Amino acid sequence: MEFSFYEFRYAPLSIQIAGIFIVVAIVCTLLAYFSILVGRYRAYRQSERLKKLHPIIDEQLMEHILLNEELASDVPADQVQLPLESFQQPVFEKKWARQALIDRLIHYRNNVRGSMGEQLRNLYIQLDLDKDSLKKMKSRKWERKVQGLAEMSNMNMSIADVTILPLTNSNNRELRAAARHAYIKLSKNEPFKFFDVVTEPLLLWDQVELFKIISTTEHIAIPNFAQWITYSSNKSIVSFCLKLVVHYNQLSAVPAVIRLLDTKDHYVRADAINCLGKMKVEDVEEKLVHMYNSQPLNCRLEILKALGRISSGKYVDFLRQEFLHATDFEVRKHAAKSLINNKWAAKGLIQELIDTATAENKLILKHSMNPLIKF
Amino acid sequence: MELIRNFYEGFVFIYGCTMLFMYALLALLSLRGIRKFQRKNSYVDYTKMLQSPLAPGISIIAPAFNEAVTIIQNVRSLLTLNYPTFEVIIVNDGSTDDTLQKLIDEFELVEMDFAYNARINCKPVKRLFKSTNTAYDKLVVVDKINGKSKADASNAGINAAVYNYFLCTDVDCIIEKDTLMRMIKPFMDEEHHKIKEIGEPCPECGYVHVKEDSIRVIATGATLRIANSCEIDEGVITRVRPPEKWLPRFQEMEYLRAYVLGKMGWSVINCVPNVSGGLGLFDKEIAIKAGGYDSKSFAEDMDIVTRMCTYMMDNNMKYAIRYIPTTQCWTEGPPNMKVFSRQRTRWGRGLAEIITIHRKVIFNPRYKQLGMVVLPYNLFFEFLAPIIEFTGIIYYIYLIITNQINWQFALILLAFVYFYSVMITTLAILWDHMTYQYYRTWREVLGLALMAFIEPFVYHPLIVFFALRGYFNFLTGKKHTWGNMQRQGFGKKKPANT
Amino acid sequence: MSSKILLIEDDEVMPKIVERILHKEEYKIEHVTNGKEAFQKLEDTDYGFDLIITDIMMPYANGFEILSRVKNRKEGKPIPVIIVSNAGNEDMILEGFKLGADDFLKKPVIPGELLIRVKRLLMQYNR
Repeated sequence: MEFSFYEFRYAPLSIQIAGIFIVVAIVCTLLAYFSILVGRYRAYRQSERLKKLHPIIDEQLMEHILLNEELASDVPADQVQLPLESFQQPVFEKKWARQALIDRLIHYRNNVRGSMGEQLRNLYIQLDLDKDSLKKMKSRKWERKVQGLAEMSNMNMSIADVTILPLTNSNNRELRAAARHAYIKLSKNEPFKFFDVVTEPLLLWDQVELFKIISTTEHIAIPNFAQWITYSSNKSIVSFCLKLVVHYNQLSAVPAVIRLLDTKDHYVRADAINCLGKMKVEDVEEKLVHMYNSQPLNCRLEILKALGRISSGKYVDFLRQEFLHATDFEVRKHAAKSLINNKWAAKGLIQELIDTATAENKLILKHSMNPLIKF
Repeated sequence: MELIRNFYEGFVFIYGCTMLFMYALLALLSLRGIRKFQRKNSYVDYTKMLQSPLAPGISIIAPAFNEAVTIIQNVRSLLTLNYPTFEVIIVNDGSTDDTLQKLIDEFELVEMDFAYNARINCKPVKRLFKSTNTAYDKLVVVDKINGKSKADASNAGINAAVYNYFLCTDVDCIIEKDTLMRMIKPFMDEEHHKIKEIGEPCPECGYVHVKEDSIRVIATGATLRIANSCEIDEGVITRVRPPEKWLPRFQEMEYLRAYVLGKMGWSVINCVPNVSGGLGLFDKEIAIKAGGYDSKSFAEDMDIVTRMCTYMMDNNMKYAIRYIPTTQCWTEGPPNMKVFSRQRTRWGRGLAEIITIHRKVIFNPRYKQLGMVVLPYNLFFEFLAPIIEFTGIIYYIYLIITNQINWQFALILLAFVYFYSVMITTLAILWDHMTYQYYRTWREVLGLALMAFIEPFVYHPLIVFFALRGYFNFLTGKKHTWGNMQRQGFGKKKPANT
Repeated sequence: MSSKILLIEDDEVMPKIVERILHKEEYKIEHVTNGKEAFQKLEDTDYGFDLIITDIMMPYANGFEILSRVKNRKEGKPIPVIIVSNAGNEDMILEGFKLGADDFLKKPVIPGELLIRVKRLLMQYNR
């Protein structure tokens, strides 16, 4: 079958387009094969290089850093001069090897702190690896900046305000969040100042990160979270602060939390009730029970749970009432759970309920009494 | 006659071009999504989730029917997933073998007085078990009367679930250990609980009512692969391999295309049509409000997603369904033609059913992307494609018989479609390689990639045929012939046939 | 006589660190990387260890399972177990103690702390 270029030129348009696309498709397919090949080769080479390098790094670290006898002496960790010669091999002039070293140091620091952790940080500084991280923070790609930030903050290196503050206002959400987290961890003067200015919601993912930073960073000055609970118009900041109040058992913030019970937002209100329950604030029970009937379901459940957590024994009758007469299954279940939590004040009552309850209610009670069932 | 012919030819031409254009568009979109995912992933540290009290709880729901051989190791592998707060709910769907007894013996289970709240309809639950050993306190076993469908069993699991999110999977699926952390992240990345106040203070309670005004992620999915030739040791994958047999290997290729290229692309424009029944993480509240799984449906996974979307739209809430490109789950693919044909016929019937049930949503501008993009796409390019292809072939044969064909042009057009489809598949494999290199050797990659060249001749005609058979069964309302045994294991995970 | 310690840990560098920390005091450390190997080792040696240090989240069997198996053994001498993990919210720590863990250390560990706890437990159990 002959088909010359000449004929092709005078073929219908659709055929011409098809012809062109055949070429395009073949080229793309070949390119794809080529990219897969190159990608695989690169990954292979990198893994081979790391396979060789990691044992070297590990050995050097073991030999000279982790077993450094001077560690045991009284010299402050950051004044120990480390034997750097062993790290001055030609391979460590390569960028990838330095990166591998940084990653490895971070890996170690995720497993060990104390004196060993300090020595690892020392090594990072004395080998000028912090310069590498700083360079990354000046990169044009945002993900490199985040990486640099993460390295610096893992190594607990302070970053100059002029470098970090612009990043905290970046247009890129990820970078902005990372910079703020680093600032909270590393800043000496006002780590929590972002709580005042942030207007966008704090994502749950960021809350996890922040919570970890705040609860694991040593020497961080914990402020009174009441200030944000009272004044912040950012709901997510308020609810995050409530969690911190619980974590630090910050009794001084309780009045602010109680004031929050009058907020219009029932999500925040539920969080506040939850917080008060976990703090076991006994005085607030009366108010909670008083407001109960005007609340939406999520707040009602929180109130019931709070009564169980506080376990003052004063509202056993209220709980019994809810358990027997509420229509919603969840309400009855939580009322039962809280009743059981108050059982020191309601022994006879619970037995009586079991004896007289309907089959379903009996099941709920037994469910609540079973220590193997948590929820 | 001439007029009809011209019209048909014109229609098919435009149809074909649109379809090819859609594929190219999806490929580009998914490339964008994958690159963004990669950039974020280059620094994300999932381990910080492990000790966080703020990590949302997840209930894993895995129905089991006569799985006695593998149940123990599969449950064990679910129990060792990396996540701080989760439970594993195994729903024993009236097994007739000793599945339940094995579980009881191995995990020291005892019957519980469990306040089971039947919020979604399903066959009655007989008993609930928990372990007396604290080491297994994440495990819940629900023993229910057989409901003859995975949907029914999953519903029982949802009713028993305590956490706000549930991961729907199968007991025979092998899940990568960081799956929960990776799949919950899209939920945590969305601006949750941004609220808006509406109207005057309510006369009853004195408060101004508020409503949520943020995008709520209602489901996430991830890539599935075929486990048939992987090396598996007590429920842990030790070596990933593309299937050795041809039929499953075609499926692996198809899955990659459907997930990495298809759903990932849709995810970028928030038009995901379906979260696979093999692995999907859902917002429990919305799933319950949407009515849970439909036990009569032939495509219960697509059905629940569509209903969750319509629920969100009906209540004026913004939603998103997200996909992550990494492979989190390995599933057993039908190894032989018999099971395969049954599975695909079922999918075909399911699709026809979805289109019929939700026909009011199609082209209804009220349902935004769902009504204007997702369902129309599924109607035209998933549902109608086999029919049009079939008529096309008949038309071709007619042309050949009456000797009206321009062989040169016909061959060019065929070559065009052929190379185009090869290109799309190869790109899918490339995109997959960008997320992670699952195969260890170059030969394995080639073995998979070369399937793209024979697919149009071997695999594709099969799919078209089975889909048509599914439609036919749907029209005639033929009673399904699969019993319990066949239902389990296969025929449940449905990737859109991109 | 040096004490035999079983370290169950799937992280790559942690065993090196632990070996470093416990080196000077002449402990004999055996290291396995997952739950399956751990059970294997324990069976093979007939639970012949003086102390077990374990992570929580590992393939095949998690630390709690190992802990419960070790603590629920009827015969043989009791073996102290220390959990060292980067996973650990309050519930998990409680769960660990409920199952009879003797100590719970969060990663990153402080070298001195680990050393002292190991020493103390070995003394307690050997009396």
